[in-house]
Amino acid sequence: MRLFDSKKLAELQQNTSNIRNICILAHVDHGKTTLADCLVASNGIISPKMAGKLRYMDSRKDEQERGITMKSSSIALYYCLEGKEFLVNLIDSPGHVDFSSEVSTAVRLCDGAIVVVDVIEGVCPQTQVALKQAWLENIRPVLVLNKIDRLILEMKLSPLDAYVHLTQVLEQVNAVMGELFATEILGRDVVTVKTKTHEQSQMNRDLSEWSTGLEDADDSQLYFSPDHGNVVFASAVDGWAFSVADFASLFASKLGIDESTLKQHLWGDFYFHTKTKQIISGAQEKAKKPLFVQFVLENLWAVYDTIAVRKDKEKLQKILDSLHIKLTARDMRHTDGKVQLQAVLMQWLPVAKAVLSMVCEKLPSPLEISEEKVEKFMCSQTERFDALPSETQALKSSFLRCSPLNDSPVIIFISKMFPVERKCLPQNRQQPLTAEEIAQRREQARQKHAEMMMQTCSLEEKKSIQNLSEADLSMMSTKKDEEQTSPLHLSDDVFIAFARVFSGTVKKGQEVYVLGPKHDPHQALEMLKNGQDINPNLKLKDLKSGQHITKVVIEDLYVLMGRELDEIDCVPAGNVFGIGGLEEHVLKTATLSTTVACPAFTELTLMAVPIVRVAVEPCQPQDLQALIHGLRLLNQADACVQVIVQETGEHVLVTAGEVHLQRCLDDLKERYAKVDINASEPIVPFRETIVVPPSVDMVNEAILDQHNAPKKAPGHEGDAETEALITIHTSNKQSTIKIRAAPLPSDVTTLLENNTQLLKAMDRHFNSNVENTRDSEEMSSEDAHNATLLTERTLKAINNLREELKKAFANAGKEWEGALEQIWSVGPRRCGPNILLNRVPGYKRSSVWEKFNKDNFIDPRAEYDSSFIYGFQLATLAGPLCEEPLMGVCFVVEDWILTSQQDSSEPVGSQPFGPFSGQIMSSVKEGCRRAFQAQPQRLMAAMYTCSIQANAEVLGKMYAVLARRHGRVLHGDVVEGSASFCVEAALPVVESFSFAPEIRKQTSGLASPQLVFSHWEVIEIDPFWTPSTEEEYLHYGEKADSANRARKYMDAVRKRKGLAVEEKIVEFAEKQRTLHRKK
Amino acid sequence: MSKIFTPTNQIRLTNVAVVRMKKGGKRFEIACYRNKVVSWRDGVEKDIDEVLQTHTVFANVSKGQVAKKEDIVKAFGKDDQTEVCKEILSKGELQVSDKERQSHLEALYKDIATTVSDKCVNPDTKRPYPVSMIEKAMKDVHFSVKPNRNAKQQALDVIPMLKTVMPLERAQMRLRIMFSGKEARKLREKIAKLAGTVESEEWNSGELSMICLIDPGHYREVDEIVRSETKGHGHLELLNVKEVTEGEEML
Repeated sequence: MRLFDSKKLAELQQNTSNIRNICILAHVDHGKTTLADCLVASNGIISPKMAGKLRYMDSRKDEQERGITMKSSSIALYYCLEGKEFLVNLIDSPGHVDFSSEVSTAVRLCDGAIVVVDVIEGVCPQTQVALKQAWLENIRPVLVLNKIDRLILEMKLSPLDAYVHLTQVLEQVNAVMGELFATEILGRDVVTVKTKTHEQSQMNRDLSEWSTGLEDADDSQLYFSPDHGNVVFASAVDGWAFSVADFASLFASKLGIDESTLKQHLWGDFYFHTKTKQIISGAQEKAKKPLFVQFVLENLWAVYDTIAVRKDKEKLQKILDSLHIKLTARDMRHTDGKVQLQAVLMQWLPVAKAVLSMVCEKLPSPLEISEEKVEKFMCSQTERFDALPSETQALKSSFLRCSPLNDSPVIIFISKMFPVERKCLPQNRQQPLTAEEIAQRREQARQKHAEMMMQTCSLEEKKSIQNLSEADLSMMSTKKDEEQTSPLHLSDDVFIAFARVFSGTVKKGQEVYVLGPKHDPHQALEMLKNGQDINPNLKLKDLKSGQHITKVVIEDLYVLMGRELDEIDCVPAGNVFGIGGLEEHVLKTATLSTTVACPAFTELTLMAVPIVRVAVEPCQPQDLQALIHGLRLLNQADACVQVIVQETGEHVLVTAGEVHLQRCLDDLKERYAKVDINASEPIVPFRETIVVPPSVDMVNEAILDQHNAPKKAPGHEGDAETEALITIHTSNKQSTIKIRAAPLPSDVTTLLENNTQLLKAMDRHFNSNVENTRDSEEMSSEDAHNATLLTERTLKAINNLREELKKAFANAGKEWEGALEQIWSVGPRRCGPNILLNRVPGYKRSSVWEKFNKDNFIDPRAEYDSSFIYGFQLATLAGPLCEEPLMGVCFVVEDWILTSQQDSSEPVGSQPFGPFSGQIMSSVKEGCRRAFQAQPQRLMAAMYTCSIQANAEVLGKMYAVLARRHGRVLHGDVVEGSASFCVEAALPVVESFSFAPEIRKQTSGLASPQLVFSHWEVIEIDPFWTPSTEEEYLHYGEKADSANRARKYMDAVRKRKGLAVEEKIVEFAEKQRTLHRKK
Repeated sequence: MSKIFTPTNQIRLTNVAVVRMKKGGKRFEIACYRNKVVSWRDGVEKDIDEVLQTHTVFANVSKGQVAKKEDIVKAFGKDDQTEVCKEILSKGELQVSDKERQSHLEALYKDIATTVSDKCVNPDTKRPYPVSMIEKAMKDVHFSVKPNRNAKQQALDVIPMLKTVMPLERAQMRLRIMFSGKEARKLREKIAKLAGTVESEEWNSGELSMICLIDPGHYREVDEIVRSETKGHGHLELLNVKEVTEGEEML
């Protein structure tokens, strides 16, 4: 039975000083959930016998199956310490790397953390991450050294060895803390030194100043030590835990030593002198047993030895008597020693007592929130707190007061949205019926049944009303209930916001502002001053860019009870709770407040960023809608998921890791989309380009002028030129076009690439006669802003771009002279990084920078101008290598001749090759292609910048993984004050699949990469290259197909698109001789 | 008595692909390896020994009858067997082998899917479907590839079939049409009928300028209307061949 009901809970919530919001952090499988189980069992929610086996907090099916926690969930617990009643909001968090985003959401809402460490495994990667996260969020940790039973039973250590082992583990943890501390102090130092140098540049800074920062800073509170009372020794699976204080009180009277002195000395290098009854230091030196071994561990070992190993029944009775424990008869009879052991220890040293006392004593209440933390919440590191509006700064005091009074503003932070099945909500849960209701329903059912019987009388005469069992009746009534409760077609899941009140009291029916993560109090306050108000009917999806506020009336408030939710009417400051009915207002995180002056809480510090990309699609094409809907829900439910719709129409799901991905796919299949889906590698785009002819070949030998030599002979001066110049006629021979392709200077390409939005806006502006509002709506959010101000801002930007391009062309050399004004068009899609240059003699067309007006422009060619441009657009959209867009290519039109103008006078039917405009289009396209092919062609690959945090010991393995995937290390540096390295590398996107799992596997999780798209890079190999010179044959052999990376990529794309690939169907003719089809 | 049949001096050819050619009233055949002839014709395979089983010109491969020398000289004007083999290889008729056919059909299937995905959009999102989805849908509607028709034709065939299993639409073209004259109003009606949606239109002193979205199938018709009925005064400008949403989007 539960120890307390919701009334009691509401009462406890009022007393802010007795609330503890804590979370459990640890490496995977160190026993977080088991520990949580023990604590939950102390409240009577689950049976103590089941604690550790049930894993109550793991409510998902796959969590239970895999045995790992995948989400953070909260439960409210009651604990009474020395007459004071405490409310502990315990959040269990996952330990697996893939779910570290869930840890972030948990940590944000807490004031303290229980860090669990497996004493066998010691400090693991995720332990470090957890400690770091706690440190970054300014929450105070306490330590639980778990699985001590394994030291006894598995490792079979002697008590003394175990003691030494424990001190070592403790030292490891403290070393991590020390490192974090040092890193921060040094980091702070750098900042202060920087500011100082301006003021005191004259001051001679000697070496001593270097170290002052570290020495001045106070780190006494930082470390874990049993005598400080912030360490608990436990075996959650056997249900026991103790702190030094527990044993101190036990032995103080026996030994006749003051309890507090004993507490001070029980842990450490002290021994007990039996004759003098004194505690003397230096146990190790004198080869004496330390106090901890003598009084604590040896006793424990003895209990284990008697009960679990020797199964000595008589001895057991003695122990029971001395500990004043009574076992039930059933436990006494039990043959399994382990069960008896657990029963004994659970009563002797209950986990909940040790852990929760420590939590209540050592961890801060919401009232003790530090100023530093508040400032961290309210403004990110890049901003200064002073820069916030004064109204906002005033809120700091409300944070610090954390008062539940009605006059203080309500501030709530929502750290995540989690899905709950609708039928699990307390409103929809079946209420236990009162006796009258049951009777009434029975009567109704009976009548109904009677009617039915009347109708089917002839058939089912035998069945009489009396025979109807109670079960049938209740079933019928529940069915009816269900019909009543779900009249509307609602989705099965509702989203509950996982939140904490930082100030004020939130009540049902209260109206609050929902402030999005990008909300800026400056703007909002200004808006309010201008008399704009927030439309209460707005929902998240109606919001335009720049708007981040909606209004909502709070409908449902819940106390989170692990798997269950309890309804509640109001929540005072300092509590963790759930809010229902916000799905349409909150995406992932948000701040709720009664004042818009409240700033949005700073973003969660995510330890893992989404990195594993897959393309998802439904197995049945008609399920696409359901899938999209499901993806939306998933996106809302998981902080660490990104869903991107790509240009190709693929839906790409980005997750933190393999396990996370698996969970997301399962969720999609079973919960959100409810359709079968396929996940596959997403399509990687490439670009095609041309380069200046290379001067060295693949083995770095200078290319001899063998084939260039004859061209340079007298009389062949312009040969190279003419070879690149392509002349093409339209099918009806009426027009001749001469085109040459040239690589664009890289500066120009980057400029064009970065300004696509601008070029697009410009094109739209010039192309649409009426500058209508439709355009501005269609444009992307950034652009919408621009379009309305096209006259001022965009024009300015365009002029900027022009200037910069001019500079870039000027730097590029003299062949680009005047190119800026000759730009005919850019492509593909009129905004890309390729240029069409107009060098047609006599065709003076205005450049792309001005509006092209053909009405006052009399040239027969003007009529086909748009076709010409379109041909160029088509050519740049799909290149000859593998039909991927071109990049950084300039097509120079040297000539364009129209011979006659007869088509307009001719009747329509007599155009044998289709409309003339179409012919121009296709011949321009063909011409561009051929001009492109006449140059050395290259493939461009998309590149990620990959920043990797890694320990020194795994650095080598990490480089190996990078090298295998053609990555290039840009730079690597050691992070000041710690032993980890920060390496930056460039990695081709094509090679990035399963990069994250591989690097994690190779480095045992000690290196965590982050990938961000950075740029396009030319792959330096000619996709058509085969060894041709002597040296190349020597180096690569005759076939050389292993080395040509560009060829491999190109063929893969061509194959995917169904284009012809230069590949033999069968490599060796002889080898297929005995192949039978049916074999 | 006939010659004693001795299998040892007989060269048996297995897995033969025969390429035949009739020239000068005579039939010539050569024995090639399977799955190699198409590669040779595409220029991918450059080693003749990987293609030919033997450099002999036969009158009938299966019977092992070698062509007579004078016939070869008469028909081809040369007696170098290898040269004649090469000519037969490039000009003769061949039987397409299993893998050759399979790879051809596979490539064509992918090409069709790519074309469809290129030409069509999801009407709800105005975004293309990924190729893999189109391929799957093509399988669902039991579309069979015809090896002798090109990808574009077959893509146009398959689009109506695909519409039965998924919401699919041809991506529309955006055109700007400008014309004037007396019949402008009548013309406008005609075009508006063909056009899916008229985005904007503007009358300017008797000249109409309209921007509309049309199905690419109607492009020729519109072009002809504008060309013939306005007698060259109309003007048609292609603004965008494919009206699709571009760029990436975060959900």
